[in-house]
Amino acid sequence: MTPRTIHTRTRAAVAMAALTLLCAAVNAQGWSYKEAAKPFAGTKIRVLDEITPLQETMKTLVPEFVALTGIQVEYELLNHFEVINKGQADMLSRRGYYDAVMLHGVQMGQMLAANAIEPLDGFMGDKALMNPGLDLGDMIEPANRSFGVFKGQTYGFLNWNYNMVYWARQDLLSHPAEKAAFKARYGYELAPAKTFKEFLDIGEFFTRKSGQMLAGKPLTTDFYGILHEGITGGATLVSVWENLMKNFGGDLFDAKGAPAFDTPANVAALTLWAKMWEYSPPGQAEYSLVDVPTVMGNGIAAQAIAYSDFVLGVDKPGGSPLAGKFTYGGIPVNAEFKGPRSAGSEPSGIVINKASKNKAATFLFMQWMIDKDTQAKLIAAGKGGVPIRTSSFASPILGGAQAAFYGAMKNTLAVAEAKPKAPKIFEIYDALGPIVQQVGQGKLSPAEGAKQGQAKMLAICKACLL
Amino acid sequence: MNEAAVRTGRGAGVAAVPPPAILPAARRWSDSAFYPYALVLPALVVLVLVSLVPFCYAVWLSVHSVEYGQVGDFNGWDNFAKLLANDRFWNSLRVAAIFMLIAVPLEFVLGLAGALVLNQRVWGRSVWLPLLFIPSMMAPIVVGLLWKIMLAGSWGLLSVNLIERFGWLDGTSVFASSDHALIALALVDVWQWTPFMMLAFFAGRQALPESPYRAAAVDGANGFQTFFRLTLPLMTPLLVVIGMLRFIDAFKIFDSIFILTSGGPGVSTESPSVLAYKMTFEQWRIGESAALAVMVWVAFFLLCSVFYHVARKRLNAF
Repeated sequence: MTPRTIHTRTRAAVAMAALTLLCAAVNAQGWSYKEAAKPFAGTKIRVLDEITPLQETMKTLVPEFVALTGIQVEYELLNHFEVINKGQADMLSRRGYYDAVMLHGVQMGQMLAANAIEPLDGFMGDKALMNPGLDLGDMIEPANRSFGVFKGQTYGFLNWNYNMVYWARQDLLSHPAEKAAFKARYGYELAPAKTFKEFLDIGEFFTRKSGQMLAGKPLTTDFYGILHEGITGGATLVSVWENLMKNFGGDLFDAKGAPAFDTPANVAALTLWAKMWEYSPPGQAEYSLVDVPTVMGNGIAAQAIAYSDFVLGVDKPGGSPLAGKFTYGGIPVNAEFKGPRSAGSEPSGIVINKASKNKAATFLFMQWMIDKDTQAKLIAAGKGGVPIRTSSFASPILGGAQAAFYGAMKNTLAVAEAKPKAPKIFEIYDALGPIVQQVGQGKLSPAEGAKQGQAKMLAICKACLL
Repeated sequence: MNEAAVRTGRGAGVAAVPPPAILPAARRWSDSAFYPYALVLPALVVLVLVSLVPFCYAVWLSVHSVEYGQVGDFNGWDNFAKLLANDRFWNSLRVAAIFMLIAVPLEFVLGLAGALVLNQRVWGRSVWLPLLFIPSMMAPIVVGLLWKIMLAGSWGLLSVNLIERFGWLDGTSVFASSDHALIALALVDVWQWTPFMMLAFFAGRQALPESPYRAAAVDGANGFQTFFRLTLPLMTPLLVVIGMLRFIDAFKIFDSIFILTSGGPGVSTESPSVLAYKMTFEQWRIGESAALAVMVWVAFFLLCSVFYHVARKRLNAF
């Protein structure tokens, strides 16, 4: 091949690329929600979502979509349990009352097994429907794909990005007397924990009895070093699984999807878990994900692992006497484990009900919800919440006084992954939740807990993943 | 002509006056054997629709395989067999039984005692009576949240100021301890339903005739004798009915457990209703949860039947 030929081919390739880009640009400019929605003007769709400050803000934006497209949207917000009761029940009944329903990643396995979710690939391939400027490459990964893509098909877009963060009392961690005492005892500087060893050390250091001194003042109540959700249901198991076990190289399932609860890695993680409880409030076994911020806001704990979207209710003026005195970080890691780190999260999204009669119109609404403009407006509303787009982190709203908080969130989201698609995951949660709690309370040894958990998992499924 | 004849228009003096044309037809309808049934028909239809149909559907589901909400083949007793082999089912029955046996007798005794005190024309009774209704009028979910605020470990009002201050529970909290959580839940139920029992018993006591009490006073009966020989026997039908309703209601406990413990710690407060909820709405094991509902219903039907016959024959209650 002569240099001239290469030159010609290069020029042709450049010309093709330019042409493609030009076509894309024209397409991007030519496509609009208004045009795309013309065939569906007047159609009414029902969308069920879970109520949070962010979704309440979304509700205020929905009329913009209605005005833009003429598609009537009944955007219903219910609490977590009702969304599951009504939404999932409607999808499974094939009644099609709701056109779209919010599902947490953990629900996807059940709903896929039940063939209740409409794949989006057909709509995504339809140039009249698919927004060429949607820029799915900007969605936060691996959360988006792990939630919505399964066996090569797309079932939903990331719309929620629940995640956990490390949360600590900055006023205590930076107190000179406490810093000096900590260094004298542990041989390194007191700072927000980055590893589990530091997490435990800080937990031990700050666990004190009423009457002892804390940051130069006598305590009027007992004070605790570590706070964590510990209730039987809820997300206790999720946190142990994603924050601890996976950071030890463990998991609930092996590579073939079989139960793997009694591995040495999981036993090591459960041992850490039980150790953490030694520095926790006595009522931890009854704490749900809502109680953790409450207790943290009451000022009786030094560090916590908590869902980030609950934190801002406490760390805002008027939210707690301690507002502004907190610091945040990514979930601590196991320094001895060299594999990929993990952090607790629950990527979630809206999916189209297989029984919906208005799928195309609903697909347009789904796109609009995750559209850059819509997301920018959501973030600009400043009601908190978790970004689903990488570009959202560039917003000045997510900086300033809350830079540490959003930095922690970004750290978690970098590895946030949806749960594997396990149809019987809730049975597994139900079986393992009490065991994990009892290990924490010291009623079961980590090894015994792992053994019992494995037996219970095997009784539920041998091959647990789709 | 007597007064009745004048009122009804029946009698010799008015025989010549023909009754309005509509009356004979109206009389025929109201006199017919179907008339009483027609009156209760609307209520019966509603009852069948909201109660019997769902129950029959539950029975039907309980003998079918139900995968993700889709009803499959008839599977006989499979769902029942799975349930009977499930430790969680037996545990839930044990939890409900303990809960019931702590809560209802306490509510019963305190309610009856309170009713008798109220009957003594205590000062400010007209003010107390409506106030006593407040706990019973509260939505169960509100009751759960209220007691969470009171008893939550390390931040509940009573937890911090009493339980932890005086070290009553070492290293744990009320709802985090499997030894105490169920008792605490039963006491929350007592708090909510004792006033209702009190008011129901008070109303029953007020409805009793005064003449036997006056006769007892003349005969020199003391308070105990009056209570055991008069009040208790006269109120037995009411006590039995209210007691039975409370037993059934206590067995079905769901809301406060769901809010306060979610069935934990472990499964130490998991009642059949909480278990059924998890099986249905989290795990979608609808066939098994329908079997659970049917079994609980059958158990209650038998228990209530026994209760009814004992109450009728031994206590002359019905």
